[in-house]
Amino acid sequence: MYAYDTFDHAMVNARVAEFRDQVERRMTGELTEEEFRPLRLMNGLYLQLHAYMLRVAIPYGTLSADQMRKLAHIARKYDKGYGHFTTRQNIQYNWPKLSETPDILQELADVEMHAVQTSGNCIRNVTTDQFAGATADEVADPRPYAELIRQWSSFHPEFSFLPRKFKIAITGAKTDRAAIKWHDIGLVVKENDEGEIGFEVLAGGGMGRTPVIAKTVRDFLPVQDLLSYLEAMLRVYNEQGRRDNKYKARIKILVEAMGVEEYARQVEAEWEKIRHIPIDVPEEEVARIKAFFAPPPLAVLADDVPAVDELAGKNFIFKAWLANNTGAHKVPGYANVTISLKPHGGIPGDASDEQMDLVADLADTYSQSEIRVSHEQNLILPHVAKKDLPELWQKLDEAGLGTPNAGLLTDIIACPGLDYCSLANTRSIPIAQTITERFDDMKRLMDIGPLKIKISGCINSCGHHHAGHIGILGVDRKGTENYQILLGGSGGEDASKAAILGPGFDEDGIVDAVEKVVAVYLGEREEGEEFLAAYRRLGPDTFKEAVYGAH
Amino acid sequence: MALINLTGIQPTEFEVLADDASPSEGATVAVPLARLLEAEEAFFKSAGSVGAIIDTETSYDALAAVADKIAFAVIDFPAFGDGRGFSLAVRLRKDYAFKGEIRAVGPVIPDQALFLLRAGFDTVDAADERKAAFEAALERFPAFYQTDFGGQVSVAHTRHSAEGQRKAS
Ligand code: HEM
Ligand code: SF4
Repeated sequence: MYAYDTFDHAMVNARVAEFRDQVERRMTGELTEEEFRPLRLMNGLYLQLHAYMLRVAIPYGTLSADQMRKLAHIARKYDKGYGHFTTRQNIQYNWPKLSETPDILQELADVEMHAVQTSGNCIRNVTTDQFAGATADEVADPRPYAELIRQWSSFHPEFSFLPRKFKIAITGAKTDRAAIKWHDIGLVVKENDEGEIGFEVLAGGGMGRTPVIAKTVRDFLPVQDLLSYLEAMLRVYNEQGRRDNKYKARIKILVEAMGVEEYARQVEAEWEKIRHIPIDVPEEEVARIKAFFAPPPLAVLADDVPAVDELAGKNFIFKAWLANNTGAHKVPGYANVTISLKPHGGIPGDASDEQMDLVADLADTYSQSEIRVSHEQNLILPHVAKKDLPELWQKLDEAGLGTPNAGLLTDIIACPGLDYCSLANTRSIPIAQTITERFDDMKRLMDIGPLKIKISGCINSCGHHHAGHIGILGVDRKGTENYQILLGGSGGEDASKAAILGPGFDEDGIVDAVEKVVAVYLGEREEGEEFLAAYRRLGPDTFKEAVYGAH
Repeated sequence: MALINLTGIQPTEFEVLADDASPSEGATVAVPLARLLEAEEAFFKSAGSVGAIIDTETSYDALAAVADKIAFAVIDFPAFGDGRGFSLAVRLRKDYAFKGEIRAVGPVIPDQALFLLRAGFDTVDAADERKAAFEAALERFPAFYQTDFGGQVSVAHTRHSAEGQRKAS
């Protein structure tokens, strides 16, 4: 993991002092709320329905056990004993007091964490593959580049007041687990024919009321040019992105309006002009950062562990957990474990302080003290020896963290919705809870297979409904909560926009509709065909008929 | 109004030229960019020193025609969140090697002091009661993650220089 040096420490400490001063000036009235707003947002502090909400960055979703303990401590001391892991690999606290937020930030700074730029019209926390550095299918670990971007984008003198928020995601694997095509900038680490590492660069993805899938701006960007190229991309956007209408201010609108070729042309022209300026960091700096992400020294172990097979043979739940919640590691004899934060009937992404502490302890024992957060709102223990899996699973299961549903229908992404959010049309969490209760049958879930449901309480799309195999969108229908169903979206390397199937439902109706969609799939699927593939083959009509009846 | 001096430059004392007025002989005047783009050579010659008032709708390539004729630039922020003002200053320094004073006017706030300095601004027009807050904000950060147009070298470079290694250890 990256470790701060004196410079990084000085920077976050300065930021805490600055924020303390801003909060004091707001409390004395020297700053108006209008002036305070962008300042607090750049520190991740939102004003929500009931209280302030603090969003803490978990850069590229990587945490140490000690950092997790600190998050648990903050949940206990400053909040109501829980935190909410988000689709952008962050954690949100829903009940901090304004006057205490500087203390929270200081506690975070003590463990090399911050809330810098987790909100506001600036470059946000860079997200990546939750299995980065540990998965068998990657070209290179993307996290050193994410850290380079984190530093370059922090307190950027020119790009801290952009037309709108700006989200960058990077993947090092062919299987895209970071939804990079749904980001303002997406980066894919790749190797060219000469065996050099670089990036495919995409731009203009985004959700909200105008969902757009990012387009390729450059096929191959050498690694040493990353920051100057990003600088050119941001400059063109900062200058020309619309500022007259916040719904048209994201880079996706600019790229659509000028065309990706013209955008790319302007970026390349600007990049040629700035390549000589030392924006990109020296090679030694890349090497310094890379060294922090060196793979842990794992002794190769046997891939077949009889004790694991034995338990799987007699315990179906463990068997399901092995199948769904563990994935291939780079090193034989190891696995990456997904800890589901989606217990059936529970709140997606929430974890209590005790659960966070337990995960920290388990990370110390089983995963090199390392923890990841996925954009699907789960936690990951990377580098777990396969022989430890039975013991680990038992401990997780006892703490309510053993739900074996990763990647299945009940592994639902849901935004906070009307339970917390002031922009919401509808509740999201209770819909997730009802669906997971309705499908609370592991055999049935395993039979249905991979299926991603994503729920947003309004068109802002914090719950990624546009990218759901089944998306659910809360709309306001004459003052009552109404839910639309969308089908066929994907956040993966085969990204696609989900399409609305038809008129919306009330909160019972939407759950019935999901069940009917699943029934159609089960009836129509071909041997081994997953839900998304079946939908793409069948098209919407078969589903429409089942959900809305014959016309 | 107080003038906040970010860089220690000798600030320009100028008057804003009225729309239909011509500059008096040897005067120091600030003139909207649109008018300067139409102005004849004689206009620049008669005034002692001319500065451009640049609004944030301005495309940077419009600066090309005047950058070497003006002595100072006044970038007018309609709102403190209008980040185009920062890019305009960067463009003046970077693309046109502009060495004169760049001033920020409009509702910029003290918490932006370092961003302004680092984007290439020299001075800011601010309400009197904000002077102290501006000056405090300037002192806030000990180092920066980017090489910038105010002369700062990024931490990434400092880390690998001899001096930086002394500091980091
Ligand atoms: C509860 C307070 C929240 C508020 C007020 C809020 C507000 C918004 C708004 C206004 C947008 C639309 C931005 C745009 O279209 O330009 C948005 C998008 C988004 N938010 Fe939130 N959000 C909240 C919570 C969350 C949470 C908890 C998550 C993560 C689970 C999240 C993740 C996202 C994502 C992924 C997007 C879509 C980004 C895109 O358009 O590309 N937000 N949010
Ligand atoms: S999608 Fe809408 S309701 Fe849900 S958190 Fe975002 S803004 Fe709030």
